[in-house]
Amino acid sequence: MKIKRKHSFSALLLPMYLFTILFVFLPIVYMIYISFMTRAEVWGFDTHVTLQNYMRILEPLYLDTFVRSLKLAFTTTVLVILIGYPFGYFMAKLSAKWKARMMMLMMIPFWTSSLVRLNGWVIVFQSNGVLDKILMGLGITTEPLKLLYSYPAVVFGMIYALCPFMILSVYSSVEKMDWSLLEAAVDLGANRRKAFFDITFKMTMPGLLSGVVLTFIPSMGLFFVADILGGSKVVLVGNIIQEQLTKGRNVPFAAALSVILMIMTSLIIALYRKIAGADANISGLG
Amino acid sequence: MKKKMLACLLSAVTVVVALTGCGSQSKELNLYTWDGMFPQEILDGFEKETGYKINYSNFDYDEDMLAKLEETQGADYDVVIADDYILESVIAEGLATKLDTSKISTYGNINPLYQGQFYDEKDEYTIPYGAGIPLIVYDPSKVDFEITGYEDLWDERLEDSVALIGNYRVIEGIVLKTMGESFNTEDLDVISKAGEKMLALAPNIRVISDANTQDYLLNGEVSVAFMYTSQVVTALMENPDLKVVYPKEGLGFGIMAAFIPSKAPHADAAYAFLEYINQPENAAKCFEHICFFCTNKAAEDYISEDMKEAIVVPASISDGEIIQNISQEAEDLHAKNWDNFKVACE
Repeated sequence: MKIKRKHSFSALLLPMYLFTILFVFLPIVYMIYISFMTRAEVWGFDTHVTLQNYMRILEPLYLDTFVRSLKLAFTTTVLVILIGYPFGYFMAKLSAKWKARMMMLMMIPFWTSSLVRLNGWVIVFQSNGVLDKILMGLGITTEPLKLLYSYPAVVFGMIYALCPFMILSVYSSVEKMDWSLLEAAVDLGANRRKAFFDITFKMTMPGLLSGVVLTFIPSMGLFFVADILGGSKVVLVGNIIQEQLTKGRNVPFAAALSVILMIMTSLIIALYRKIAGADANISGLG
Repeated sequence: MKKKMLACLLSAVTVVVALTGCGSQSKELNLYTWDGMFPQEILDGFEKETGYKINYSNFDYDEDMLAKLEETQGADYDVVIADDYILESVIAEGLATKLDTSKISTYGNINPLYQGQFYDEKDEYTIPYGAGIPLIVYDPSKVDFEITGYEDLWDERLEDSVALIGNYRVIEGIVLKTMGESFNTEDLDVISKAGEKMLALAPNIRVISDANTQDYLLNGEVSVAFMYTSQVVTALMENPDLKVVYPKEGLGFGIMAAFIPSKAPHADAAYAFLEYINQPENAAKCFEHICFFCTNKAAEDYISEDMKEAIVVPASISDGEIIQNISQEAEDLHAKNWDNFKVACE
């Protein structure tokens, strides 16, 4: 009886299923389909089945691009953890008034498009830009620095774009934490360091891990950061997909690259679930 | 009585609304080109003078435009402006109308230098709207030798100080020029060699960008830039001390031109528009806005002196080579070379 009632309720889930089928499942199937087609003379694709697009990804140029994208995503994630974890942790320990203020400060930049914000950094960091003028005005430097259009500039942009996601997910898990456990640990003789690593760190692991997923996955695809702050010289998988879709006019190859990228990110999510599943305390991004 | 009057009034209003409704439908012009190709003044002026309402839609890449036209079989748009090489495909696919030039009284103003090109040898389908040559511009206060050609971009004194536009056919084209080859070679060995030579250029590249490339030169980020005509002109208007190089290896050349799609819904409006933008004063305003070479001879008298100084059309312009469609293998190899080059620039 109970089960039946549950079934009738599932009609309410219909819009969600429809949405998922129309806007998630079908586009992915279409993308996979295109990835096996041949490129057309001018635009689009011809329906001749081929494995050529996947073979091409095995060329060193594209394999290296995947490796480079992974490296950048890894570097970004590590740095975002180092900045975002303590930030989120201490933010959760603030008074309610200051928490609200900090949250507001975190949200304000999101009111502006990320492209506009990145171009704002260009104005600050470019040669003879705001930073150069200040440094030269103070006599700290004598000539313009060349800060932009380099790998570190891209890493900076990635951290800037993704750090809020780490901070917020760590914040929410620290906020939910039961502090009496920590007190109990100290009462039972644990020193502060041991208490932090055995209790706090473990309890906030779900937040940290979901922050990692929210940082690692987008950082493989944020091609515009590499374009704007890297001066188009840092080539990521996202850049190649974008270029093949536009100037390169090779839609099937772009689709094949996207399929591989999607498989890679799915593997990372699977890995995350495995780690999360291994620890009974951990639940998060389901 | 009151009711009757109200009924009369209402029906009158309905009739007027219906009529104006019809009117506005036929008094429209669907213009399709890149963003910012016309000054607002010209768009407003045309609407005011002729009563046609302009619907301006834009594309980012020529290929998007072609895809749209293929989809609608030449319907939906009345005037399209796009690049030379794509016009060849548009015409070959029968997507452009044969122009009745008698309907454009200002047709004679067009500079014949920009006519009779490969995409439309008999000038049956297109009217040029701006032309350009990508050129090298440098800041002589920061470069201590004279740059005379593309080959100088490889000079090690220019380490990390060159900005390039992001069009790979153009950039690889200049590499081909330094090897004495054509932009449009389909010889894969030659293109591979060009790819290798291009790698040696990488250490000198500071930034690659298609948009506002002149800014990098103006703010001192780079000391040399290779860029589109509009950017060259903008840079020179801002800083007249910059030096322009007409590379000795040979010039590239590009023309943008307007055409009327084969099933344009408002062909009359299209002719009226082409007539309007080719009136000398109007054409001058357009060219001052887009900063490309003026393709309207009669307009030259109306272009400001500053602009004329900044924009010198070289006598050898017609010797410039236009980038054309090449075989898919050659195109793919170019794309691959370009990705390798960008990785080497990092």
